[in-house]
Amino acid sequence: MVKGMSMPKASADHQKGWDFEAAAMPFVDALYNTAYRMTRNAEDAEDLVQETYLKAYRYYDKFEEGTNFKAWLFKIMKNTFINNYRKKQQTPALSDFADIEESYETQVSEDAAKQIKNPEQELLENVLDEDVQRAIDKLPPDYRMVVLLADLEGFSYKEIADILEVPVGTVMSRLYRGRRLMEASMLEFAREHGYLREREPVKMRSKSGARPK
Amino acid sequence: MMDCKEVSETLFLFVDNEMGPDLMTPFQDHVAKCPGCAQRMDYTRKLLWLVRERCVRCTASRDLRTRILTNFPHRRIVIPPI
Repeated sequence: MVKGMSMPKASADHQKGWDFEAAAMPFVDALYNTAYRMTRNAEDAEDLVQETYLKAYRYYDKFEEGTNFKAWLFKIMKNTFINNYRKKQQTPALSDFADIEESYETQVSEDAAKQIKNPEQELLENVLDEDVQRAIDKLPPDYRMVVLLADLEGFSYKEIADILEVPVGTVMSRLYRGRRLMEASMLEFAREHGYLREREPVKMRSKSGARPK
Repeated sequence: MMDCKEVSETLFLFVDNEMGPDLMTPFQDHVAKCPGCAQRMDYTRKLLWLVRERCVRCTASRDLRTRILTNFPHRRIVIPPI
């Protein structure tokens, strides 16, 4: 192109569209997984992701070069989620939540007193892949979101604070409590499997890959 | 040097690589001398690894990808010849 001559607008927009697509589409699975875990339903998750892409496309000019593009997409999705879907969500009452945490603490100290096998080892040995997902699904939405962003998507505390528009200290405390709760649920599920395994060894072993006799 | 309670409160900062340089030495000095905290740290790392690697992840359907792509204006606009 001749120096000083600008690209016709339609063509420039067209090129920007392709650039956006190339930059944004690699994150579709990550966005969808988070959307699904937050809405708990495929139809809403698909609509949420689609709307996120449309908005991001429209505001692509506002994206600051050199900042984290994936985080920018997640921020748009978070805002869309809060505006459109959050009302539909059922939030577990905070009292339930204190109960879970308390029962975990009690369990751990009772085990220590009875010198039962260390609960940490028990969790790592018996937890199944779907338990991790179930434990995340059980978290209250604010905690679930932080855990998804940190532990599944690998965002830094600062990036999460930017996405959620909360102070870094809030990210840290939600992550701390969210992970503790997740751990408590995972331990509960692991216990159920461990208990079943002792009673029905053949059946459970088939699940872990060994052939039943 | 930190005590066990301080280590427990800042453990995630360490395993998430978010710990500032000021806390690093007091934290590491304690963990080097305390088998309980060292074990807790090892367990926390394994737990977070387990969450990351073994959590069942959903993927976007082919239909969703198609819907997103076909809604992009650049895929619909035909540029007039210049």
